[in-house]
Order: sequence, then C-alpha cells, then structure tokens
Amino acid sequence: MERSAQEGKKDEINRTTANGNEKAVDSNSISKSFGSNTVLKDIDLHLKKNENLVVMGRSGSGKSVLLKCVVGLVTPDSGSLTVLGKDLQELEDHELNELRRKVGYLFQGGALYDAMTVRENMAFPLKRIPDRPSKSEIQDKVEEALDSVGLIESIDKMPSELSGGMKKRIALARTLILEPEIMLYDEPTTGLDIITSKEISNLMLEMQEKHGISSITVTHDLSCARITSNRICILRDGNFIAEGKYEELENSENKEVNSFFKN
Amino acid sequence: MKKNYNKSTEEEYPDISIITSPVKSFFYTVGDMLSFARSFVQNLFERPQEIRELLKQAYIFGNGSLGLVGITAFIVGMVITLQTQPTLAELGAESWMPSMVSISIIREIGPLITALICAGKIGSSLGAEIGSMRVTEQIDAMLVSGAKPMNFIVKTRVLAVAFALPLLVFYADALAFAGSFISLQMEMNISLELFLTQALDAVKLSDVIPATIKTFLFGLAIGIVGCYQGYYAKKGTQGVGNAANRSVVLASLLIFVIDLLVVQTQKLLF
Ligand SMILES: Nc1ncnc2c1ncn2[C@@H]1O[C@H](COP(=O)(O)OP(=O)(O)OP(=O)(O)O)[C@@H](O)[C@H]1O
Ligand SMILES: [Mg+2]
Repeated sequence: MERSAQEGKKDEINRTTANGNEKAVDSNSISKSFGSNTVLKDIDLHLKKNENLVVMGRSGSGKSVLLKCVVGLVTPDSGSLTVLGKDLQELEDHELNELRRKVGYLFQGGALYDAMTVRENMAFPLKRIPDRPSKSEIQDKVEEALDSVGLIESIDKMPSELSGGMKKRIALARTLILEPEIMLYDEPTTGLDIITSKEISNLMLEMQEKHGISSITVTHDLSCARITSNRICILRDGNFIAEGKYEELENSENKEVNSFFKN
Repeated sequence: MKKNYNKSTEEEYPDISIITSPVKSFFYTVGDMLSFARSFVQNLFERPQEIRELLKQAYIFGNGSLGLVGITAFIVGMVITLQTQPTLAELGAESWMPSMVSISIIREIGPLITALICAGKIGSSLGAEIGSMRVTEQIDAMLVSGAKPMNFIVKTRVLAVAFALPLLVFYADALAFAGSFISLQMEMNISLELFLTQALDAVKLSDVIPATIKTFLFGLAIGIVGCYQGYYAKKGTQGVGNAANRSVVLASLLIFVIDLLVVQTQKLLF
C-alpha cells in the first residue's frame, strides 16, 4: 500500500473518530498494585469507536497489565472501567464471556494452545460460541483467516513446529476469527522481520477500516505505530505522561517523550 | 472467600509465602483446593460437554499407565504370595492362599498401588501441563475468547482420571492375580482353575463395590490436586516444576487419607 494512500485513509478515520463521542473503552482512574508494586495509578483510558490507540512505554511499565484490565483478566483495585458500554465490575460470568467474545486479545507471547494443531487452535473459539457455525463454515473461516496472515500452508502443523513470528501471526489470525469489535494487540510485530511486520501493520489497519474495529496496540515498533496509530499515549510510572498524534509526539519538546521515537 | 474462576486467578491467589507457619499454609491450600473442587462440581453440567477431550485424556492417562501399573501389580502379586505362603504353610492353611491373596489385592493392594503410581505419573503430568498452560497464558487466552477453561481443561481431565483409574485397577488386579498364581505354582502344585475358583469365590460384591468407589475417589483427588496446582502455577519454569512436584506429594497424601476414611465408613455401613 502506498504511504500517501495510508495517510489519506488515516486522516479520514481521524476525522470520523474525532467528533464521534461514542466510546469503546472508557476508564476512570483505575489503579492496580501487585503487593507493594504499584503498576497503574489513577489512569484514564478512553478509546473512541474505530480508533486505534497506541500505548508506548518502557518494559515493565504496565502496558500488558493495562490491556488485561480491559478484558477483565486483571481486576483493578479501584476505578471504573466500561467496555462497549458495559461496566466490567457489574457483569455476571456469562455476560462477561459474551463481552469477551467481542474483544480480541493478541497475547504478547501468542498463547497458542500447544496441544492442538494450528487448525484446531483456530477453530477452538469458533466451536464454542453459542450459535456455533457449521463445520464447513468453520473450515472456510479458518482458511480465510490463515490466508490473511499468509500462513495457510501451516494449517496442519503443531505450534512447536512454528517459528516465533509464525506463532504470532497465527495467534493474530485466531483472535481475528471471532470478528471482534475491539482488538487489543500486545506487541503484534515484535520479533518479526521488517517486511512481515509491515504486512501485519497493514493488516491491522485493514481490520480497522474494513471491519470498523477499535483497537489498543502496545508496541515498541515505530513503523507499526506510525502506520496504525490515530493517537499515541506514553505510559510511565503508572500513568500517561503524554498523548497525541505520532508526529506531535515525535517532535515533542519533552526529551523523555521523543526519546521513544528515536531508533 | 468466594473465588471467581472467570477472572485471571493468578493475581487473586493469596500470597502464602508470607505465612511462615507451614500448618497455616497447609490449611490455606486445603481450603483453596476445596473451593476449587466446588467450582469443578458447579461446572459439571456446564455446556458444552467436551466429550472428545475427555475421551482423549482418559486414553492418554489410561494407556500411558498400563506398563508401569502392570509390572508393579504383577510383582507385588508375586511378592505378597511368596511372603505369606510360608506362614500359612506353617499353620497348615496353605489352601487359603488364593482367597487371602485375592481379598487383599481387591480390597486394598490393587487400588492403592494403582492410585499411588498414577499420583506420580498423572498427577505430575497434570501439574506440569496445566502449569505451563497457565504460564504461557493459554488459560487466559481461553478465557478471553469466551471459552471456559474450567470446562475444557479441568473438568475433562479430572473426570478422565476418575474414570480411567477404576479400569486401571481391574487391570492391575488381574495382573496381580497372575503374579500370585505364578509364584504359587513355584511353591505348590495348583491348577489355574482351582486358583481362580478359590480366588474369585472369596471375593464378594461388598468387596468390589467399595473398592471401586474408593478408586474413583482416588482418581478425583489426583485430578483435582493436579489441576489445582497447575491452574495456580506461578510464573516461570520453577512455577511449573513446583506445581508438578506439589501435585504428587499432595495427591499421595490425600490417597492415604481417603483410604482411611473409606475403610472406616465401610466398617460402619457393613
Ligand atoms: N500477575 C502478576 N502478578 C504480580 N506482578 C505482576 C503481574 N503481572 C504483572 N506484574 C508486574 O507488573 C509490572 C508491569 O508488567 P507488564 O507485564 O504490564 O509490563 P509491560 O509494560 O507489558 O512490559 P513489557 O514491555 O516487557 O511487556 C511488572 O513489574 C510486573 O512485575
Ligand atoms: Mg507486556
């Protein structure tokens, strides 16, 4: 995809999201500590519909914990968290499950089920939704999703036979197969070569454009951040210390902020 | 303490390392495990029933233990025969051998030996497998996709052990009989027919049923302990190792406790 075309599309999304006040994720002053280790401190996280928010921060700053809060894998100590209009704390188990199907999570390590083949991995969530698709529908979806990450030939392999980057791409495909409304990408391009990483970034952009997915992306990869971000937040000491468009932060006066944008 | 098994449980796991008293932490673990067991029971009728996974696991557990269980049972059958035979011969009660051996095998030795071997083999593999699923976030991935890991991972495996174990015990009993018969053959001349008639005549249904129930309970214990330890494994390879190790220790201990309880109850009832 041409760079300028990308930019054009992004601006379009920026315009449509800028005045849309519908929120996909809305959190107010969430805090989380593990024992004496305070990871998140009164953080406000707002994700508009159809927006891609990129979160950057040093290793151990709590980016993964923040994403886990959004799907209820980690329960904040305090603060309120609303996802797709539902208050996470008030949900019953089955409601939470229902909500989680609308939220895709790409784990930092991929988290493929290593006792299952790639095909079974992909079909696993599909077979467990309430209105389960037919066998042939599942088959089609699995192949389509694998095709989109360019790994259709690995369909009958076990995860242990795949390289790190392949695992990540398959994990991405497995997450997208449920057609979520919100995607949480935890370092989607880490460990991939530049070309594959560009392809993944473009796939993420395509998801946003075609399927209207809102997403939060944690990444250290500048090109991924540039391609996919509508907005970037920088996390430090449990809170966002800066927020803005890629170009704004790149040229920020604040040394600490723009140091993220230097290779 | 009410636990929500739909949340990532790892962070809610109470940090027992600060409790220095091992007794306290023991009861902590037992209490936690009971609440895990309750959640297992609550999930019993939860859909979807993962029959295919259950059968797969039962096959893995059962088939994987055939060799070790078989050899051990055979040898133990031989050994107890060789050891009791001289005493009984002294008393002139040699003809009681088959019935005596069969009762001890069916009531106690078969179930106990099989369960202890499985506590080692299956318990540790459960702890390690589920522990590494926890550590590599596979359990979280299941939760997030709206699937139920309690259902898919825990329920299937616990039930698989609980149903595979009684079958393994029948198999172990048969091999122990074989061992016993062969060693009796060496000492005195007894036909297979006579041996079997005597051995099986001595066994009543009131021996077999409690023994089978007991074995089923052993299986539940091995399954729940192994799954529990794996489910709450701490991050890192050490966490997985610890989970496997603790599963074996706790499951073995529980087997003896259950054994004692069942025998006492049996005495009261019959
Ligand atoms: N389950 C947990 N129990 C205890 N501490 C935790 C847990 N999960 C995360 N932490 C702590 O929270 C802090 C933030 O972790 P997190 O995984 O969010 O970092 P991160 O920003 O994603 O880093 P990286 O870029 O390396 O992935 C770390 O200090 C970590 O030790
Ligand atoms: Mg992380």
